[in-house]
Amino acid sequence: MATFKEVKVSGFEEFDQAVKEHKGKTIFAYFSGSKDAEGKSWCPDCVEAEPVVREGLKHVTEDCVFIYCQVGDRPYWKDPNNDFRQKLKVTAVPTLLKYGTPQKLVESECCQSNLVEMMFSED
Amino acid sequence: MAAMAAALRGPLARFRSRTRVWTRGTRGAANAVGAGQPQNFDLLVIGGGSGGLACAKEAAQLGRKVAVADYVEPSPRGTRWGLGGTCVNVGCIPKKLMHQAALLGGMIKDAHHYGWEVAQPIQHSWKKMAEAVQNHVKSLNWGHRVQLQDRKVKYFNIKANFVNKHTVQGVDKGGKVTLLSADHIVIATGGRPRYPTQIKGAVEYGITSDDIFWLKESPGKTLVVGASYVALECAGFLTGIGLDTTVMMRSIPLRGFDQQMSSLVTEHMESHGTRFLKGCVPSLIKKLPTGQLQVTWEDHASGKEDTGTFDTVLWAIGRVPETRNLNLEKAGVNVNPENQKVVVDAQEATSVPHIFAIGDVAEGRPELTPTAIKAGKLLAQRLFGKSSALMDYSSVPTTVFTPLEYGCVGLSEEEAVALHGQEHVEVYHAYYKPLEFTVPDRDASQCYIKMVCLREPPQLVLGLHFLGPNAGEVTQGFALGIKCGASYAQVMQTVGIHPTCSEEVVKLHISKRSGLDPTVTGC
Repeated sequence: MATFKEVKVSGFEEFDQAVKEHKGKTIFAYFSGSKDAEGKSWCPDCVEAEPVVREGLKHVTEDCVFIYCQVGDRPYWKDPNNDFRQKLKVTAVPTLLKYGTPQKLVESECCQSNLVEMMFSED
Repeated sequence: MAAMAAALRGPLARFRSRTRVWTRGTRGAANAVGAGQPQNFDLLVIGGGSGGLACAKEAAQLGRKVAVADYVEPSPRGTRWGLGGTCVNVGCIPKKLMHQAALLGGMIKDAHHYGWEVAQPIQHSWKKMAEAVQNHVKSLNWGHRVQLQDRKVKYFNIKANFVNKHTVQGVDKGGKVTLLSADHIVIATGGRPRYPTQIKGAVEYGITSDDIFWLKESPGKTLVVGASYVALECAGFLTGIGLDTTVMMRSIPLRGFDQQMSSLVTEHMESHGTRFLKGCVPSLIKKLPTGQLQVTWEDHASGKEDTGTFDTVLWAIGRVPETRNLNLEKAGVNVNPENQKVVVDAQEATSVPHIFAIGDVAEGRPELTPTAIKAGKLLAQRLFGKSSALMDYSSVPTTVFTPLEYGCVGLSEEEAVALHGQEHVEVYHAYYKPLEFTVPDRDASQCYIKMVCLREPPQLVLGLHFLGPNAGEVTQGFALGIKCGASYAQVMQTVGIHPTCSEEVVKLHISKRSGLDPTVTGC
């Protein structure tokens, strides 16, 4: 039974740091619009996808790290020069990706349990 | 035992008798022990390449229950790849990207003529290029996986073969057996490069196009054996990125293509750094203590033997269809004994009415991605949609991506003459110089166009052949014209776009018959 370690980060700097700290491990990253004081994200697709992603995580087939990254508020996200767009080529939220591979699911794809499960169990 | 017998008479008895009746049917899988009952589909596609995936996705869109069984047998070198077939993994895609890498090298060399201060000589990193190309290919593999899942097509990574005409069994990487049955089956297993197994050391030390795009280290000094477009395209980009490259050909280049154009292609390569050993056939490959390969060959013209040392030997001597391991006899599907390709009719049907074959594995079909894709889609529409449209394999345009690209559509000059007779064929031709070549003084000796037409007015265009930069982009539009039955008269009525190489096609006016000099001079 494979396990995952969850790392919660906010913003690009923290994300970059988390990746460096876990170098050499299999890393899945989930990018979501930041949650407000009541814990609700400004991004409706992110709200819908999160439970699907968490359910999919249970099917992971190898020990890995799951980085849950809140990208920032809506104006920051919409800025075409933000670090996520420029440095990581992440241009949509939600995005679920396997770090260092071309495997990526974006937007409504993250709400489809069969795709999410495929992402976590592919080798 | 008695207890079990009692249970069988009880409520379980109904279940038992139902399955027994079921296995007596045509879908019975008597030979696959321990695999359980077959999973049933409306359509089963064997092979997840250009043709297979297109057919599967189309059928799924039409609401059918579809499965794709794709498996890549590692090459003798051990190379393997993901979903998508030859085109995506070891063909068109990586080839075009590496061709582009080579072309960029040429552009960088020309850049200073246009005012760019570029430090010469420039270095090329195989590692960097290969990684970028491989990453793109992997993203395509992933894209196909997502697409199949999204369209509810069931994907099996298994090596499939026939158990009977409705049932297929497959073994996955771990050895587990899966049974699949379907109303309709499409064979789209494509082909693999051929090895000259009669040459000692060939399999052991040589590689093929299956391997070249996945090499992590540079192939170094390379000998490409073959005269196919695979051979010439590979030799072309290897030369372009600065590697010492030699092509060894037994006889003519690009068999099946217009031979005048083919000679111009190799002429260009020869005058741009690729060495050619014509009329030579290798006889032995040995590994030297240095790790390099020593190749022995016979020069048929002189009858003499010669040797050479290379880092890599790339076999590009043809491709064989993937039919040997399908157990086609169990399904009653016939192959052409001469080439092992599956025999099909105009509906893509095999000798078994509900089994079809498309793409490279099918006999008499062009070995091209777009025709496989189109054939796959039309087949799905005929089977599950309301269509009766057949695939039209005539006037299919194509391009050979050698350093100087060759695009063509329709008949070669030889084919036209054989079909209509010399007196009924008119060939218009021209040598031209791309404007972009002038400033850096690039050699345009082989930039040439010819249009093969019927002699009788309005002079129907039978074939167009273009040798020059961006040949694929140039030829595509003219393919539409030929499909519409364009005549030379109509081509002449078309105004050219200036300044382009393409416009030279609509300005063709010198016929071969006239004997006049076909060189274009200025505006």
